[in-house]
Amino acid sequence: MITAVQKPFNEIHGMVRECRNLLVLGCGTCVTVCMAGGEKEVGILASTLRLANREQKISMKITEDTIERQCDREFFDAVRDKVEAADAVLSMACGVGVQFASEVFEGKRVFPALNTKFYGTNESVGIWSERCAGCGTCVLDKFGGVCPIARCSKSLLNGPCGGSQNGKCEVDQERIDCGWQLIYDRMKSLGLLHLLEANEPLKDWSTGRDGGPGKIVREDMVL
Amino acid sequence: MAKKIIAFACENSALKAVEALSDPAVLGAVELVRLPCSGKVEIGMVLKCLEEGYPGVLILACPIDNCKFTRGNRRARSRVESARQILRAAGLPEERVHIDFLSSVDSHKVAEIVRSMQQRLSVGAAGPAGIEIGKGAKA
Repeated sequence: MITAVQKPFNEIHGMVRECRNLLVLGCGTCVTVCMAGGEKEVGILASTLRLANREQKISMKITEDTIERQCDREFFDAVRDKVEAADAVLSMACGVGVQFASEVFEGKRVFPALNTKFYGTNESVGIWSERCAGCGTCVLDKFGGVCPIARCSKSLLNGPCGGSQNGKCEVDQERIDCGWQLIYDRMKSLGLLHLLEANEPLKDWSTGRDGGPGKIVREDMVL
Repeated sequence: MAKKIIAFACENSALKAVEALSDPAVLGAVELVRLPCSGKVEIGMVLKCLEEGYPGVLILACPIDNCKFTRGNRRARSRVESARQILRAAGLPEERVHIDFLSSVDSHKVAEIVRSMQQRLSVGAAGPAGIEIGKGAKA
């Protein structure tokens, strides 16, 4: 899923403090699962804004809603009236949802309440960690299902580097596991260490961010 | 009418301690809400209470390591800390939310907990303007 965390409250309040009628809009998919922008978080942020506004004597009507997804057009129909009535929307979706809400509601300002982080997994309760960098050319078959792009700080395809110590990465020896140690351990457990002896050729990065904004067209689905 | 401090009490311990109390001043100073476990406390619910004009939110949980549901009181404690962080970030006094831990025989501690909270709220300029805190409680 796409993971995100809420922006600092002062940053959010600074963005919306001139609004007189604000809709706080949550997203019921990825950011609900990572507990950053679902119905519950919408309620918390809306309450906090109301309390801060009362304290600072700011007059602002705040309404709340959460739709199934902010990255699909049809789900916005349910809140069209509320969006029309508001000066602006404070979106608690990922960056995709914020941008798509702006596209759907032309002429309406849409502010981001979250900082979008990465494609990750729910490692354990309350902990999410990155697993995929969306590079556009998956190489997981060669590395035992551990991604060197997402899990090595340098995205090395022929690792490890000299910064790997005791299974940890030099970028942060407390927090970050060495991706190449994970790959080595995994390949060893699979009895496939010999596959790591082959040099991985240069990667074509144009299938990811380096190729510009991505687009997928399924000719069999296009109307 | 001015609202009282709202107290969410776990029915397995703290609620029994409060209910065994005979001091009408203390009982009259709080609006008591029964919870099956303090782990039911949600940050949104705490903030909503403040939004609706309660001067303070008091959570009364079981002593740590004595939760019937193993870790409900620990969850409540971390949620209270998160709620206090949110209040700080929003420029509001964090004293408006407080958690304490009581067993069912700790009735004698209830009065002090309530009075301390009343004091923190009045000293910390916490309550919304015009709300009298702790009217009727002993000084």
